Amino acid sequence: MIRSDAEALVRKTMARFVDSELAPRAKEIDEAGEFPGEIFRRIGRMGVYGIRYPRDRGGSGGNTTLYCIICEELARGLMSVAAITAMQCLMGTNFLFHFGSPEMIEEYFLPAMRGEKVASFCLTEPEAGSDLGNVNTRAVPDGDGYRIDGMKTWVTNGPVADFFTVLCQTDPAKRLKGVNFFFIPRDTAGVSVSKPFDLLGTRTTKISELAFTDVRIPRRYMLGGEGQGMRNLMSILAEIRCMTAALAVGLQQAALNDSIRYAHERAQFGSTIGRYQMIQGKIADMATDLDASRLLTYRATRMIDEKISCIKEASMAKYFATEAACRAGDKVTRILGAYGYSMEYSAQRYYRDNRFLLYGGGTHEILRQNIARWAGL
Amino acid sequence: MNIIVLIKQVPDTTEVKLDPRTGNLIREGIDSVMNPDDRHALEAGLRLKESGGGKVTVLSMGPPQAIDVISEALGMGADRGVLLTDRAFAGADTWATSHTLGKAVEKIGDYDLILCGRQAIDGDTAQIGPQVAEYLGIPQVTYVFGMEEVKGRSMTVRRRIEAGYERLRVSLPALFTVTAEANSPRDPVIGSLLAACGAKAPIQVWDAADLGMTTAQVGLEGSLTHVIRTFPPKSQRAGEILEGSPAQAVEDLVGRLKERNLI
Amino acid sequence: MSVWIDEKLCNGCRRCLKACPYNAVEVEEGKARILERCTSCGACLAECPQSAIFTDIEPRSIPDFSDRKGVWVFAEQEEGRLMPVSLELLGKASELAAELDEDVSALLLGSRVSGLAPTLLEYGADRVYLAEHRALKVYRTLAYTRVVSELIEELRPGIVLMGATTVGRDLAPRVSRRVGAGLTADCTGLAIDPEERILLQTRPAFGGNVMATIANRYSRPQMATVRPGVMEPRRRQGGKGRVIRRKVSLLEKEIGVKLLERVKEKRKGEALSRARVVVAGGRGVGDRTGFRALERLAAVLGGEVAGTRVAVEEGWIPQDRQVGQTGLTVRPELYVACGISGAIQHRAGMMGSRYVIVVNRDPRAPIFQVADWGIVGDLRDVVPEMTKRLKRVLGR
Repeated sequence: MIRSDAEALVRKTMARFVDSELAPRAKEIDEAGEFPGEIFRRIGRMGVYGIRYPRDRGGSGGNTTLYCIICEELARGLMSVAAITAMQCLMGTNFLFHFGSPEMIEEYFLPAMRGEKVASFCLTEPEAGSDLGNVNTRAVPDGDGYRIDGMKTWVTNGPVADFFTVLCQTDPAKRLKGVNFFFIPRDTAGVSVSKPFDLLGTRTTKISELAFTDVRIPRRYMLGGEGQGMRNLMSILAEIRCMTAALAVGLQQAALNDSIRYAHERAQFGSTIGRYQMIQGKIADMATDLDASRLLTYRATRMIDEKISCIKEASMAKYFATEAACRAGDKVTRILGAYGYSMEYSAQRYYRDNRFLLYGGGTHEILRQNIARWAGL
Repeated sequence: MNIIVLIKQVPDTTEVKLDPRTGNLIREGIDSVMNPDDRHALEAGLRLKESGGGKVTVLSMGPPQAIDVISEALGMGADRGVLLTDRAFAGADTWATSHTLGKAVEKIGDYDLILCGRQAIDGDTAQIGPQVAEYLGIPQVTYVFGMEEVKGRSMTVRRRIEAGYERLRVSLPALFTVTAEANSPRDPVIGSLLAACGAKAPIQVWDAADLGMTTAQVGLEGSLTHVIRTFPPKSQRAGEILEGSPAQAVEDLVGRLKERNLI
Repeated sequence: MSVWIDEKLCNGCRRCLKACPYNAVEVEEGKARILERCTSCGACLAECPQSAIFTDIEPRSIPDFSDRKGVWVFAEQEEGRLMPVSLELLGKASELAAELDEDVSALLLGSRVSGLAPTLLEYGADRVYLAEHRALKVYRTLAYTRVVSELIEELRPGIVLMGATTVGRDLAPRVSRRVGAGLTADCTGLAIDPEERILLQTRPAFGGNVMATIANRYSRPQMATVRPGVMEPRRRQGGKGRVIRRKVSLLEKEIGVKLLERVKEKRKGEALSRARVVVAGGRGVGDRTGFRALERLAAVLGGEVAGTRVAVEEGWIPQDRQVGQTGLTVRPELYVACGISGAIQHRAGMMGSRYVIVVNRDPRAPIFQVADWGIVGDLRDVVPEMTKRLKRVLGR
């Protein structure tokens, strides 16, 4: 039977979108610094946000590998659009999908799949980043539901989101065993959103603080069983790390493509700079980094798809690919010479945007500790 | 209305490069895509279906890899795909191709309208549409950029001509070739794309025997015209670099323009 | 059925690779290899000096076409005016007919168009077949197809040429399919092969990146559409041919298409696609003010300004002035490319220009490959210099 290869086809479809729609406008979108609503909705109409969810429940029937292929391709065009998409597909909607009531699915999840509602995920607090046991946002039983009080920060899509999945503490004494995810619509009384942060990179990804003051929500808005928050978070942690790695792969590919193009075009001393070994060395390093990152990333995604636990593999992929993306951002700005320093060219954006990948999904300081431990230390 | 859209997989000529030494086309590593005009034809078909009901079937002839344009068309909303693939189809000129496609259209049967792109970017011949229409014995309208109403067994369309456009009433069934001006094609939907990759996808693959054709009727053997030589086109130009200061070079140039009565 | 190479005999001379119209030969480590996409066309067989290529294909027999004579030109008219390409085709047809020692006929279809016949005779037709009918007033596919096909089937010409116009590209494939003839589209060169005495049709392929010569050995007439503006019209003294009137009977209902209205419309980019001179700019122009200099040059030359995709994306010129694969195709007499590197997509839109001038700082820019004259230098110096000097020469 003759059939298309799903991965190749999805990659090609996204590549076409990136090359014809996203990349040509990347500079304009990045400089505008506004949430790219039109592109967000268009990606929604393509059914991208449902890539991880089954088709009979409003998804597109894909898997983690396909999800990461999409993230990679979008990141090749513009990191911030890729980041927004990645959030919508995974952290922003995952617990709503698994634990939301039929009414919540109808009212929030399905519109989010179509790109009509923006989803967001709140984990970090001013005093709790990597140390989530320290989460201070309290959810206290209150009549038929819960009352939420507290503060979240570094909320991706915060200023534009229609609903949030928020990690709250129900029993501070239990620390990590007391945390739970709650669903909070934006228009609930007591939810206030700060102004977006001024950021170094991914400038159209709107990130802000969120304050919850006496926010009252019904009981069904608790996503997952009592005390299951950490377990639930762990269920998608490897996938978050794979996604971050895929974003890093896309950025590396873009930086490599620009480097090669420029090395072919730019001539100095009567010869294109690509003929000089110092430039060749940089390109070789970038190409090798890219290939290694890709192998690590998709090894892990395939393990997720086969339901094999892979937190070590995913962590290695995230760590390696992100560091490689930082190296690529550095190298491309060198290969382009002074043009790498100019805001006219994309190279500077790769240099800035790669920083976005360092923090989400685990800092490398923590990841390396863990990797060392898994390695047998 | 039942619509058959003829689509073709072509090399992405925006990526085509010439070997700087030999001047030959480098075909390796070049992506294949759905021919741009065909995408507009498909979009036109999908819109007709959405407004008036019916089914859209896409039909393509090509190597097995051409299945990708069928999948993409299903991803955009086509109901069914048919791929004609057979080693014997290779090297077909427009005569053999229109014969093969015509046979396949007859086998699909039950159609009101056939749509194809104005022309394919690899061949630029614009012949397949009219030749298929002639094979089937139905009217054709080329360069269609607008479709107005369907009224009983006829339809009103706008056809681009050099001086402007014509509005024509055409009796159905008919074949239209569609220009890029007609619409802006939709993106494929990922869920439908993935479904098109599955075993249960509504895709059929036919070879020459399925169409009741012999190898003498298809491909190179069934063709009337043959490429006997290809060569790079640049040789026609003198490619002379005018030396000297800007003023000297420009003086030189103006002299040459005068010589040839260009000014 | 296949073609194969005896490795022991192959000396890796690459002639087969050059001969292959399908890029289906590869030379690796000094030996040629036939690739999967080989169509067994056999073009490589005769080229091999080592006789290392073998095939089991039986040569296809060529039917006897000795009774097919005459070169025909479809004389396209619109609203009683001949399209220039019709006269260009007659010029070429006369040349081909002379080589074949045959004569030239023009087909003139329409309603009350007999007045155009003398012009056709004057430009090289030995005979004009005139078919007048009310139903032929405006071009409609099935009406014209029927008249032309019946003439071909009855009078059996050897060659039929049409202009690659909107009409010609609609009519030619329809007629070719009906009369069972091969057809080559959009030719830019036509010649007679001296040995085989067949028509060699040359046309661009892959957006103008490759030229292909095509033969039509197995059917008659040999049909081709020819790009307007490529061939030269040739007027001759005292056209002495005959006009032969043909009876036409056509019923409206068999035509399948009814013209409701014809709307004249000035289209975007029309001035550009018809311009005699185009001055185009690319990335090297630098900014919007850079284009002012190009505009001044265009004004002196009586031409239009155009740009590459980059120039459009940068907002230096409007979208409807983009030349190239995704923009317009232009065929001016003179194309002046300033600060354009010459990406293939851009070249596809301007390859048909008669003369090309290139101004670019980088002598290795690929655009020089399609230049008639190139000036290596900064366009900020060269373009104003051109404007100044042309102004003086032209007295403007």
